[in-house]
Amino acid sequence: MRNLDTVTLELIKGAIQSARVEMEALIERSAMSPFIREKKDYFTAFFDRDGRLVVSTALPMAAGNLIDCIFERYPRDDMRPGDLYLYNDSYGSHGAVSHNNDMVFVAPVFSDARIVAFAEAWGHLWDIGGMVPGSISPAATDVFQEGIVIPPSRVLRDGIWNEELIRTFVRNTRFPDMVRGDLSAIMAAVRLGGRRMEEIAERFGAGAVEAAFAGMLDQSERALRKAFAERVPDGRYSFRDYIDSDSVSEKSYAVAVTVEKRGETIALDYSASDDQAQGAINFIMDSSVPKTMCGLYFTGQEAGVALNGGFHRAVGEVKTRPGSIVSPREPAPLGMRSHCLTRVNSSLFGAFAKATGGNVPAASSVYVLYYLRSWNKERTELDLCIEGLAVGFGARPHADGIDAVYYVAQKNYPIEFAEMEFGVRVEGYAMHADSGGPGFHRGGCGIVRDLRVVGDEAVIGLRMDNMRWPAWGVKGGMGGGAGRIVVNPGMADERELRPMSEGNKLKKGDLVRIMTPGGGGWGSPLERAAEQVRDDVLDGFISAESAERDYGVVLSSDLTDVDAAATHARRKELARMPRGLFHRHSYFDDEELPRAAE
Amino acid sequence: MARLQLALDIGGTFTDVVMVDGVSGALWTAKTPSTPKDPSDGFFDGVEKILRLAGTAPADVAAVFHGSTIATNAVLEGKGARTGMLVTAGFRYVLEIGRHEIPRRENLFIWRKPKRPVPPRLIMEVPERVLLDGRVERPLDEAACRAAARRLRALGVEAVAIVFLHSYAHPAHERRAAEIVAEEFPEAAVSISSDVLPVFREYERSMATALNAYVQRLVGTYIGRLQTGLSKRNVAAPLLVMKSNGGVFGPRQADRQAINMALSGPAAGVIGASFVARAAGFDNSVTIDIGGTSADVSLIRAGAPVTTTEGELGPFPLALPIIDIHSIGAGGGSLARVTDIGSLQVGPESAGADPGPACYDRGGVKATVTDAHVALGRLPPTLLDGHMPLDGRQARAAIERDIARPLGISVEDAAEGVLRIVNANMTGALKVVSVERGYDPKDFTLVAFGGAGPLHGVELGRGLGCRAVLVPRYPGLLCALGLLATDLQYDYARTALQRGPDYDLAAIDAVWRELEQEADGELAREGIPVERRRFVRLADLRYAKQGFELTLAVPAKTLDAAGVARLVEDFHAQHERLYTFAERDTQVEIVTLRLRAVGLVDKIALPEIAAAAGSKPEAYERRGVRLDGAWHADVPAYRRGALCAGHRIGGPAVVDQLDSTSLILPGQTAEVDRHGNLIIRMG
Repeated sequence: MRNLDTVTLELIKGAIQSARVEMEALIERSAMSPFIREKKDYFTAFFDRDGRLVVSTALPMAAGNLIDCIFERYPRDDMRPGDLYLYNDSYGSHGAVSHNNDMVFVAPVFSDARIVAFAEAWGHLWDIGGMVPGSISPAATDVFQEGIVIPPSRVLRDGIWNEELIRTFVRNTRFPDMVRGDLSAIMAAVRLGGRRMEEIAERFGAGAVEAAFAGMLDQSERALRKAFAERVPDGRYSFRDYIDSDSVSEKSYAVAVTVEKRGETIALDYSASDDQAQGAINFIMDSSVPKTMCGLYFTGQEAGVALNGGFHRAVGEVKTRPGSIVSPREPAPLGMRSHCLTRVNSSLFGAFAKATGGNVPAASSVYVLYYLRSWNKERTELDLCIEGLAVGFGARPHADGIDAVYYVAQKNYPIEFAEMEFGVRVEGYAMHADSGGPGFHRGGCGIVRDLRVVGDEAVIGLRMDNMRWPAWGVKGGMGGGAGRIVVNPGMADERELRPMSEGNKLKKGDLVRIMTPGGGGWGSPLERAAEQVRDDVLDGFISAESAERDYGVVLSSDLTDVDAAATHARRKELARMPRGLFHRHSYFDDEELPRAAE
Repeated sequence: MARLQLALDIGGTFTDVVMVDGVSGALWTAKTPSTPKDPSDGFFDGVEKILRLAGTAPADVAAVFHGSTIATNAVLEGKGARTGMLVTAGFRYVLEIGRHEIPRRENLFIWRKPKRPVPPRLIMEVPERVLLDGRVERPLDEAACRAAARRLRALGVEAVAIVFLHSYAHPAHERRAAEIVAEEFPEAAVSISSDVLPVFREYERSMATALNAYVQRLVGTYIGRLQTGLSKRNVAAPLLVMKSNGGVFGPRQADRQAINMALSGPAAGVIGASFVARAAGFDNSVTIDIGGTSADVSLIRAGAPVTTTEGELGPFPLALPIIDIHSIGAGGGSLARVTDIGSLQVGPESAGADPGPACYDRGGVKATVTDAHVALGRLPPTLLDGHMPLDGRQARAAIERDIARPLGISVEDAAEGVLRIVNANMTGALKVVSVERGYDPKDFTLVAFGGAGPLHGVELGRGLGCRAVLVPRYPGLLCALGLLATDLQYDYARTALQRGPDYDLAAIDAVWRELEQEADGELAREGIPVERRRFVRLADLRYAKQGFELTLAVPAKTLDAAGVARLVEDFHAQHERLYTFAERDTQVEIVTLRLRAVGLVDKIALPEIAAAAGSKPEAYERRGVRLDGAWHADVPAYRRGALCAGHRIGGPAVVDQLDSTSLILPGQTAEVDRHGNLIIRMG
């Protein structure tokens, strides 16, 4: 049944997509922890019988090879209907999951005694033990400080649960009820996905379903190959981007890539990336991760393209060097791998910028988190507040960067909720002016969050990047602004906190101001319409100083009018200044040296 | 004596009019073209036309019900008032930052943040601060408030929204600020969040208040024009306007709570579907309203539409109680195309009413869903009593060029493929409101309406596994009919956090009594006599530290210790039913208290049609129709108006009426009930 007709292919595609969304809905409906229910940190997918991704949640952070590590231990021929497999072992799965809080469940789907597909889901568990509540700490230096590890294991066979395994796992978390609840939710979703896929196979026939899988992969592969052929000239392009630090030292780490483009495919080589870090920013980069980034970006405006193994086929080899930050050796810690993941993305787009004369998005900043624990003398009770804070994303060839954004589907806590439940007071929640990189398309702005400590004492842990190495701008666009964290700004006892740090002590009445970084700009700021710049000034995204300095737009003293003559003169003067393809602190065309920004 | 109930629903293309004689049960219907530039023109055309048709005097009209898209369109098209805001110092970016997420189904590299209804430059910060328990941390800076009001006036603002943090717990600051704005800026329309939505979550509350201010003037002017025009035409009857929550409100409330009209039209459709289905003996149904560009689906349980406070208006959250309606871009005008990679896509782009499908021959050349129906012989050669010919040649040509040739298949296979895909999309939407909410569609009847609903109903019902599909007697007029099945319904709410386990019952009761007093006054002002006022107490509960609540009906009028225990137990049980688990050891918080106030309005009885009395339905013509891959040469076509109660029609068959065609598949049987509905049992 190789030649499936288009209509049936689309119907099966729709049915699989809808089954996948139903899995998500069930997880959201039945999970217990705020990490899954509110933060929505979960992922669902279907794979074909060979473990190739057919359809999944559209997140470029998730690997597409989630089944291979199960095959290593459990040959496909040995699998039976009703089997269920699980793991959270980042090293043991070769990066199928990339930090151990993500627990994967997989169920084989049978049709007439033959495996036709796998249903899969993972969710970020609230706590799996380890050195701190939540299991991820900027202070970790060893993966075994980050909680209990379950290698790929069979947890259900012939209707019998491996109850000891679950009991042992749940014994290792600080929140057993919540974790058990989340595990049931994810398991139930995978089994539901399996049932739905069986129904699809029954309705259309297993042969048609397998042909549809092949057709879906072909469509996605074709779309990405076409985009490469049309949009990226042949050649070799290298770029490196930097992570500020690993939080246990002051050293910055480079993620470096060379893109080799030939015809309608590319190959990637990340082996020039720095050695693995001592702190928890290491990322076991599955080859599917940069491939998915290419697919999502280059086919993002094409209808009907599913995120799947077709993308993985359209990109050739992805090389990494064992012992490097994108291919660390055990027991390097992994908890904060999103810092590295963001640079895997920005180095890749940097290389594409060189290939395309800058027709790619500028760099985005890494989202920010803080962990505030506070105590009241009377109450001895501990209020733990973990909040994710938005940053600015990079400007794009088709639009400004997104202002004040955390990630896909992850919502903030309303202030009126945080004040009810977390023992904090929020005194300001504003746009971080000038943090969006100037450009024809402006980079997205980060935010400013003012927290007043209401407990008698408190300790704050922080995860903020892009201070030393802000997000770069491209094609004449300028870099995004860095973030800052200040205690009691403007007061006699004003002090700065290190952006990646644990255990900062605070006292009652202290005000902590967290200013998050922005995204890079795209295109020359001198070409942004003067009225648009004025509106951005009026709206507080750009200061009047930056308007004049970076955009060459001079405004009247009340900021409401553009001084056309002065603007013309200023823009003419600025136009004489040479610009490069990239900008971060200053313009550059090729690569920054590791020390350039320090 | 005034005995006529008149209803007008204004849609994008047509204004639908239904009038019922409350005494004789007679029913008149009319359709007039909508007049988007000034919808009131179409409204009055409709009023005049129906009165002429019925040959009655304006004085006989007892009430005028109205569903309108004026508020929706203003928001979706960005055509509301120039609106400014006053907010607590430090929170100027409350709308801009929002909930800081990219929607789950979007591509993070491509997505753009939707433009807010109020830009930051028109948002002024005012020093003041209230804490979550209502204590004033910092008094309102009246001088700063005055200066901000003047500044907004100088900036040419027409409407002002006032939103202060935790104002639900202490509305005094917002109220005082509103007075100051009124003094400095009397011509501005003012909305305050403690009136519009006194419920916690500042972004959602700010958005509701800003949107209310944004449409307030427009809605007020429009309603005023309708009132003036009605009295000029000697219609003295009260005007009642449809709200998103399925109830109606009078002009006084509409003027202040304009944003409650956001889903006016679609909500009326669901009420209409619920009314008709209940009269036909179906208490549980899923409903689908298929028009030219979109399909709206909803679920009715135990005779009542399901409401939500997590709805959306375009890209914005709408946290007011609204009927839970899920909308997708799939309708008769949806465009079908083959992409570069060979994928067949149907919608969400639409040819709309203008230029419309290729078969309309009004300048549209692209293949649409309607063209696919025409190519398969499902539609008659003309619509609207012969006033609108359908050009089969154009339909086939479009399908051939856009679909058949690129895919290398026959025109018929292409047309059927288009329909199968659009049906699959609609089935997906129906599953969102049923399966994904934990309901099995097998237990529900599908009510298919809107101009195109009856064409798709049976295939959708089959795909979902429903036992029956109900096609109402007037599928294109169900929104207007729904207007005649409503009551006045006002929803009140106030966040007043109680952590438990020792709830302050006196404080809770005091809030409810206050809300009840307010509601009672409002119903009195709308002329609802005491014996027709109903009040339902509800409460939002959640587990401590959980970010969402469940709304539950309060078991007793006054909440005592036993009542609260039952309420909490109901919460655990409901949580378990919806989310598969309950945490009986976790503290339960009572977060928001709600009151639903209802003013009962006279309902019409659905008119009955003549009984079959032994007669058999007679086909007026036979058509070649392709169904499930095979042509059926002589499919009988019946006229809807000629059918009698008790008639049975075996599939394959089509039933034509003025603005709609119903399809019955081979193996299925349609029965005509006493109200003229087609009840189609799946084979």
